[in-house]
Amino acid sequence: MSFRLERRLEVHWWNQALTPVLSILAALAFGAVFLLFEGFNPFTVYKALFEASFTSKFGITDSLTVAVPLILTGLAAAVVFRMGLFNIGAEGQLYLGAIFAAWAGIAIADNLPTVLGVTVVLIAGAIGGALWALPAAYFKAYFGTSEIISTLMLTFIALFLMRYLIFGSHSYWRDPESATFPQGRKIPETARFELWGNTRLHWGLLVAIAIAAAVWVLIKYTSIGYDMNVVGSAPESARYAGISVRRTIMLAILLSGALGGLAGATEVAGRSFSLDPNGLELGLGFTGIVVASLARYNPWAVILVATFLGGLRNAGVALQSLPGERVPVEVSLMLQGAILLFAIGGEVFARYSLSYSRSGKVVAA
Amino acid sequence: MNESALVLTLAASMVAAVPIALAALGELLAERAGVLNLGVEGMMLIGAVTAFQIGDSTGSLWLALGIGSLAGALFASIHAFLSVTLRANQIVSGLALVIFGTGLSTFIGKSIEGKPLDTDFTSTRWGVLADIPVLGPMFFDQDPMVYATILLAIALTFYLERTRAGLALRAVGESPATADSMGVAVGMVRYVHVIAGGLLAGTAGSYLVLRQVPSWSQDATTAGIGWIALALVVFASWKPLRVLLGAFLFGFARRANFWLQGEGVDIPAEFLSMLPYLLTIIVLVVWGSRDLRRKVGAPASLGVPYVRDER
Repeated sequence: MSFRLERRLEVHWWNQALTPVLSILAALAFGAVFLLFEGFNPFTVYKALFEASFTSKFGITDSLTVAVPLILTGLAAAVVFRMGLFNIGAEGQLYLGAIFAAWAGIAIADNLPTVLGVTVVLIAGAIGGALWALPAAYFKAYFGTSEIISTLMLTFIALFLMRYLIFGSHSYWRDPESATFPQGRKIPETARFELWGNTRLHWGLLVAIAIAAAVWVLIKYTSIGYDMNVVGSAPESARYAGISVRRTIMLAILLSGALGGLAGATEVAGRSFSLDPNGLELGLGFTGIVVASLARYNPWAVILVATFLGGLRNAGVALQSLPGERVPVEVSLMLQGAILLFAIGGEVFARYSLSYSRSGKVVAA
Repeated sequence: MNESALVLTLAASMVAAVPIALAALGELLAERAGVLNLGVEGMMLIGAVTAFQIGDSTGSLWLALGIGSLAGALFASIHAFLSVTLRANQIVSGLALVIFGTGLSTFIGKSIEGKPLDTDFTSTRWGVLADIPVLGPMFFDQDPMVYATILLAIALTFYLERTRAGLALRAVGESPATADSMGVAVGMVRYVHVIAGGLLAGTAGSYLVLRQVPSWSQDATTAGIGWIALALVVFASWKPLRVLLGAFLFGFARRANFWLQGEGVDIPAEFLSMLPYLLTIIVLVVWGSRDLRRKVGAPASLGVPYVRDER
């Protein structure tokens, strides 16, 4: 008795389109089991989740606010994962982006006009993220050191560095007024994104979408993007074609780091207005990997998936303030994980079919 | 006074090392089979919350530890199915396990959050041996899990180096195609070791709630130990006995604050927390270059799904 995978000869478009939908439905059904077990009505919970994140007015704008950093960390993962390079440290690059962005906001942006101030903050964030990816990029390109481990380690170093700056010292980033409850020093108005009306949504959304477009152009229409594709799919051919594999690997990981850093900068300029370790310790970088994977590394799909997962994340928060039915906040995180697990499985079924034989011997397809 | 603070810290480091070592030994088994499982933190959380529920309702320590371990194994089988049978991306699958494990454990642990647990592991004093300065408190006044962990590391070394099954395991991790042609069931070996890895991660999580912090809280219980375990496997260059030593070192880094403050040395806690990751990066960079890769011992097929007919 054995199972085996056979590659589908034709992958129909409906396979591609149905996979995410079925994955989400399967995850919801799977989650329902646990909800029932804990004594909740799954339909009530899911209805409340959906309303909290998408149908109410502040629901949709709050979901989009969460989507902003997720689009950017999603792009950060997408640009390298599609090459088979696994920078899983967007989380740490995001922290460094936030540290650099907050510094630039406080130190430089004060006397600048708003557009320039925000630009400076964003550029600083991108530089911070790229710098944090630099050791991993360099050692991968020149020594073949696993970027998986190095970026992961750098993430935790960044996490503790950020905590140190706010909780462990009286650093430049810490608000000197906050003696008992340490907080980050606020960046000036001129370094902040303008909010849309009385919502929490800010212009960072347009920046994120513009950058998704830019990444798409880069991958599709530039020679750097072309090099990245070749190095990703066939490093040997790239070498024969005269593409510098090392330079391309360096560039790709640095770009990924810059995108992660940018995500940190948009959080500082659009939401927290300071270096806020509590607000950032939410795994936005790791979720970006989920976003990229569900989006099959396509920049446009990243925007959609980030909005969907942003809604799911936001629902957790929104549910707390929802009157009536008590819906457990943790459901949203559990569902995110379940959706991802089913999506990973579903992705395979879109390309392969699972066949089963009792004898264990199958004639190769 | 200060010396006894150091001795207390050393003895406490032994206890702190147990979950790190168990989780890392589990991950080592999976990685030696060629499967990277980044989901250690998730498996530990599921083990911890399950162990707490069982311990809370039955009062039996060992039953709690056993069921908690099984929960970790069950969780790991998801990763085994996705990465071995479905050949999915192991990195994404492992991270999904962390996200799902964090969400699920927080959800099912909601009702017991902050509740204290009565049961505690008791230390065994080895008579006069426990009175030996420094070594006594470290080695002869500990709970059974400390000894079990040390024995496990020795047993795993023997298993990897001296047994047929261990040889098959190493072959699968280094060159699955060769192992396959020798008649080793590659998929089966990978399943068994990924699930065994989850079992140990579950044990590690269970031990945390039953021994170190006898109450359940999602962010305080595991406190990143799953990630430290991942670092440790690299730091120990995939060798069980080095995992043991490394776990003690990393455990000491987690407990050293108490002693250092007594000494008047004021190293910020955050820097001590960084230490395991920093040391691992240094090890990785110094020894991890491509030419020396064999010496470091990273399994050659780590993270690569095995496909027989497509090569």
